[in-house]
Amino acid sequence: MGQNVQMQQDSTDIALFVKVSEGDVITWDKSRIVKSLLRETTIDEATAKLIADRVEKIIRDSGIEFITGPLIREIVNAELIKLKLEEQRKQYTRLGMPIYDVEQLITKQNKENANVPHGPEATNLSLAESIKKQYALLKVFSPDVALAHERGDIHLHDLGFIDRPYCSGNSIEYVKKFGLSLPNALSISKPAKHPEVLVLHLIKFSAALQGVFAGAIGWDAVNLFMAPYFVGKSDEELEQVAQMLVFEFAQQAVARGGQSIFSDLNLYWEVPKHFADVEAIGPEGKYTGNTYEDYLPEAQRFARALIKVYMQGDGMGRPFFFPKPQLHITERLFRTEGYEEFLYEIAQLSSERGNSYYVFDRGETAKISECCRLAFKLDENDLRDAKTPWKMRYSAMQNVTINLPRIAYEAKGNDDLLFEILSQRMQLAADAHVAKRGFITRLLNLGKRGPLGLLAMDKDGEPYYRLHRATFLMGMLGLNELVQYHLGEEMHESNYALRFGLKVIAHMSKESERLSEEYDMRFVLEQTPAESTAYRMAKLDLEHYPSETREVVKGSIERGEVYYTNSTYLNISAPISPIERVKKEGMFHPMIHAGSLTHIWLGEAKPDPEAIAKFVVRTFKHTTNDQIAFSPEFSSCLDCGRVDRGLW
Amino acid sequence: MQIKGVLETSFVDWDGKIVSTIFLPSCNFRCGFCHNHKLVLSPESFEDVPLDYLLRFWRRNRDFLDGVCITGGEPTLHKDLPQLCATIKELGLEVKLDTNGSQPEMLRSLIKEKLVDYIAMDVKAPLRAKDYSRVAGVDINGELRRIEESIDIIITSRIDHEFRTTVIKGVHGEDEVEAIARSLQGAKRYVLQKFVPHLAMSEELRRLEMFTDEEMDALVEAARRYIPNAKWRGK
Repeated sequence: MGQNVQMQQDSTDIALFVKVSEGDVITWDKSRIVKSLLRETTIDEATAKLIADRVEKIIRDSGIEFITGPLIREIVNAELIKLKLEEQRKQYTRLGMPIYDVEQLITKQNKENANVPHGPEATNLSLAESIKKQYALLKVFSPDVALAHERGDIHLHDLGFIDRPYCSGNSIEYVKKFGLSLPNALSISKPAKHPEVLVLHLIKFSAALQGVFAGAIGWDAVNLFMAPYFVGKSDEELEQVAQMLVFEFAQQAVARGGQSIFSDLNLYWEVPKHFADVEAIGPEGKYTGNTYEDYLPEAQRFARALIKVYMQGDGMGRPFFFPKPQLHITERLFRTEGYEEFLYEIAQLSSERGNSYYVFDRGETAKISECCRLAFKLDENDLRDAKTPWKMRYSAMQNVTINLPRIAYEAKGNDDLLFEILSQRMQLAADAHVAKRGFITRLLNLGKRGPLGLLAMDKDGEPYYRLHRATFLMGMLGLNELVQYHLGEEMHESNYALRFGLKVIAHMSKESERLSEEYDMRFVLEQTPAESTAYRMAKLDLEHYPSETREVVKGSIERGEVYYTNSTYLNISAPISPIERVKKEGMFHPMIHAGSLTHIWLGEAKPDPEAIAKFVVRTFKHTTNDQIAFSPEFSSCLDCGRVDRGLW
Repeated sequence: MQIKGVLETSFVDWDGKIVSTIFLPSCNFRCGFCHNHKLVLSPESFEDVPLDYLLRFWRRNRDFLDGVCITGGEPTLHKDLPQLCATIKELGLEVKLDTNGSQPEMLRSLIKEKLVDYIAMDVKAPLRAKDYSRVAGVDINGELRRIEESIDIIITSRIDHEFRTTVIKGVHGEDEVEAIARSLQGAKRYVLQKFVPHLAMSEELRRLEMFTDEEMDALVEAARRYIPNAKWRGK
């Protein structure tokens, strides 16, 4: 009690004003330190008072007249460390950025991601991301997982979006059936009567979804599901709708942080088997009385109209980056009339603009692609869902990438050790996924008025976000460099090296299955698409494992532009024929259930569309490759020393 | 047989087909626009590509490849060309031959023995000694007859084919293209290739401008007066 009185007296002794974060200037009162320590941390009252005394002494001795809340907190933290109260220090920490960094961010262009336009919206996003990332590493993940991320053993993607799932595959049927009716919206639209209105609903819903997902917003079988709206419409009208759809998606740079919506349009020339007998929904969300099989002509006409729009490009004739057209190819394609002409048209698009992706759904698999290489294979339950296609909503909640070359450095040539460390890293990835699932579940449980209200929205007997269907991605980076360090050869240099690479991925695949069973979660392998991770991990390794990294890292150490080869790719600058690349890279694809891709770099000359179409068909028929895309531009590759065409 | 280079997979060298393109050394012409001039002037600076390596590649990838395009240099200067073509055909692959048409005997024999499936012959200028010599970079006087003979062999045989002219600003105008097309009447295809200056053998030509797409369209129109199936290629 005496101490308390003393404290009161001391307080009045100091003529000090405190600027508090709520936006006020108050007089010094050290009991506020005690209160906040007791509220925010697990500290006991006596220690809290001791700290408050010490802090007051420091401040009094300094002789300053104004002090801010954040500065007091920093001094308190310093005292917590002196008392070795590390746990309480973490609980009491303040998240934020140095003023220098904030000024850089506000006034200078983001160098790391050229896709992000510079503007107030974009800097808002970056500031928020920075704080949420700190929050995630301190509060959501265990210290082990956070440390593994910071060291670069693993990479937790989209930490700045810790409160959102990663990506989503959506069904137009949902929008057709329920209209545009978002929770907390001021106005609600009934199901669309006209195709143009359906497009508007689709775009607005996509923009809303982009606000609750970190990554891609994919739409399945776009041309097929829109087909019932096109009965009796002319080709010209279809082209108008196609233009609206592509331009509106492409120009939504007003969405999150001023970025485009990461959107994919999945297209089919055939009616895929799993949708053929499904009852079609038409205008006003009503069943038309026909099945989707009956709308093949309209679906095909609309697919053609879309390709035509992509061919023409934007107002300046430039290609569209979003939404990405992804053509799915199933066995049925080859039994569907007109497929050769259509393949030719889309191959022309590859040749001229390079923005079409070809997704191969062989045998009985049906797949939905999310972003450039992320796909979901539909299992039996999903195929049942196909009968009520608005339920076909999928999501990968998080992506964790494992730094493979580092494992080779640590294993020092020992096979057993290499696989053991790999299993440990996958365990860490699984731990990270469990933590993310727990956090997102907590947010979803806050319901329609919670932060993920849109995902909690329930119109068909279950929330929009179907938690039980969520997948958790295990990505890999630099398999080629792992093999190169471990065996002394890159994967394209010998069959032995390639086989060892396959063995590593087979181990990962088996481990992911084992972990799935153990945790009752869907862990699946994915080819990590993020180029910035390839750079980050290579740079960290160059620092922590300099001699090892120098042996295998790609790029230029002198210029500081280093990277590891993406996922399971073969060395991108090695002169490997496109045929052998699709075959060899395709050998990994069946083990990577969340989807894979091979990029085919073409020379500077315009490739012949008929040859491209043949290549696509032969890749489907003669390889196990999951997805390919052609990149006709060549100039961008000259820097990395790629072999030129011909003998010039 | 020396093979000096290979493009294992090409989407541009044979319309509608996926092929491997191989490069044979040396040439009897010295066209200023030649893109493969090192192969013509200093073939020894390239290492040989072992035929065994190619055969293994082709055998492994027969499921993707339609054929092999043989180019150069001038392939018909090599006496063992028929043997090479036969080896490729035994693998079930088709053969396309690029030629300057200076060796009609070789063409006649390849066609007769069914060792090639497609011939693409360059016709570099109107068939007048002065014009032709200027573009081919050698005195063509006595050889013009042989070029004409090759054109005749190709058109009258039933082999699939194209004739082609790399068109250069200041050298080829509508009159020249029309004159060439006139001498190719009866040909299945005639292709004008847009000259790409920065890769040319001749320094003088490297400074030239390229034809625009519209100018190329106009040249094709001139060619169509005699060969309806005419088109242009290039960037």
